[in-house]
Amino acid sequence: MSPPRQSNFRGRRALILHRANGDTGRLARQLERLGMIVECAWPDFPAGGEFADVVLFDADNGHPGMWPWAEGEAPVPLIALFGSELPSRLEWALDQGISAHISKPIRSSGVFSALVVAFANFAAAAEAAARLARLEARLAARPLVLHTLVALMTKCGLTEEEAFACLRRAAMNERLTIEDFCARLDEFRLAALTRRLMPVAGQGGRK
Amino acid sequence: MREEIAIGLLYSVTGTYGMIGRDVLDGAMLALAENAAKDACPVRFRPVLRNPGGNIEAYLSMGADLMARDGCRHVLGTITSIARKEIIPLVEKHDALLWYVLPYEGFEACENVIYTGAAPNQHIVPLFEHMLAQYGSAVCLTGSNYVWGWEVNRIARELVNAVGGQVLGERYLPFDDTDTARLIDEIERKRPDFVLNNLVGTSSYAFVRAYHALGQRNPDFAPEVRPVVSCNLTECELPAIGAEAARGHLCSAIFFENADSDESRAFRRKVTRAYGAERRLSAYLVAGYEAVRMLERTIVQTGSSEIDIVRRALYAQEFSTAAGPLRISAETNHASLTPHLGRINGHLSIDIIEKAAAPIPADPWLVNFDTSEFARNVHRRRGGGRQLRAVR
Repeated sequence: MSPPRQSNFRGRRALILHRANGDTGRLARQLERLGMIVECAWPDFPAGGEFADVVLFDADNGHPGMWPWAEGEAPVPLIALFGSELPSRLEWALDQGISAHISKPIRSSGVFSALVVAFANFAAAAEAAARLARLEARLAARPLVLHTLVALMTKCGLTEEEAFACLRRAAMNERLTIEDFCARLDEFRLAALTRRLMPVAGQGGRK
Repeated sequence: MREEIAIGLLYSVTGTYGMIGRDVLDGAMLALAENAAKDACPVRFRPVLRNPGGNIEAYLSMGADLMARDGCRHVLGTITSIARKEIIPLVEKHDALLWYVLPYEGFEACENVIYTGAAPNQHIVPLFEHMLAQYGSAVCLTGSNYVWGWEVNRIARELVNAVGGQVLGERYLPFDDTDTARLIDEIERKRPDFVLNNLVGTSSYAFVRAYHALGQRNPDFAPEVRPVVSCNLTECELPAIGAEAARGHLCSAIFFENADSDESRAFRRKVTRAYGAERRLSAYLVAGYEAVRMLERTIVQTGSSEIDIVRRALYAQEFSTAAGPLRISAETNHASLTPHLGRINGHLSIDIIEKAAAPIPADPWLVNFDTSEFARNVHRRRGGGRQLRAVR
């Protein structure tokens, strides 16, 4: 079973970017019922708004340049408030990187589920992005790992498997990934490592 | 000529949970009869009754009839959360007010619903605070296969985890399923400290009877050792279980008939006059009765049955009810209620063993619930300290 997702929003700050009307009143009331601190602003992004924990914005009238961050790089979950369902507006909202949406007119039901979904999607996307960054870094370090592997094989007379096992053990001893370990190996350290491995390789060779 | 106000009563008095519907309806009808007998009262109700018989499709068509054809702006109705969720869009469409008077699983606050039944912080939380301290924290969860059981069991799991306990099993039965053999078998194997029963109606009665049979066969499962606890089992259903089989198990409710107050004694006298001395009182009977009385009093005060006016007047006062003082919160449309904990005795009645010192506001999203504070309370009780006032 996956760990429980966030469903308590007490003390969280919500920023509503929407012209004040009945919808924003109902929305603010519902968010306050959930224990949230609510700020409403329109049309300008308010000072300090970037410290909100979630931003709910008018997707019908939102426009380029409304954020203090680059488009699609919101540091918090975004929830689109849709009235119109025009493909151009949906497209624009998706480009902002929304984590959930609520349809207007806003009712008492639907706000809580949108929040839970938005926080969960945002967390999942952040986790996926971090994972992707890790994998890309490993991919980038591939030539370096190969270089070290070949150096160990040639200087110590190891097979590919033996060289890799040595490398993994050495990286683990220093609590590093193999890629990070290889990145830190200059010629001097590599020489030290090969010296340490020589007797092992020698024993292996006598058998 | 007094103003006549149509009031819809949408309760299943037949079907798997018909006993509950019958009790709520009888309570409402008692208050309506009182209203009709009051010549001086400027408000007269015209009750319109519908019985969906526990059939989910019927709720929608009958609810539509009540609001569109019979002109009911106030509807008391629905027992289960499936039925309530089914008709809420309809109630919103007609801008009517639904009076929902049963305990439920929370996570809802519709502008067009007044909730006078207990929310989780008023039923499962105080019940588990007692149980986890007094009986232990290895628990089996069971329920009917729909939102009530699913959500209350999820909350129960959170409470058990908060004190480092363990959920040994979680099992569901379809509505009206009385084949409890696998459930009983699993409980016997896993030997929980207690069992949370979120089954509804006939399934629940069959389960408690089967658990009694288990206890007779194996004294390790006597109610004194490993009780069954419920948040939705009241006096009105005990005859369907049987005095001996029901004895010793525990329930949470906002009222038990052995409540010792002037208001509850006055209610007892009225029920005796209307339905006879044998009639059991229950939280459901009280709920139907008090909802009609609150509506009557509010309409008399404001001179209007417009739901916006009624709603605002509801928020502004405290009601004295058979279950104690009650207020409706303007933030949540939910009632503040006094959680009671009772043990079923051998005479188809429930003895109160604990009672909150004062009414507790509903917290439908458990916004103010704090797991570590809950764990501390359980811990304190294990040490002998008492959070709730012990009764008798």
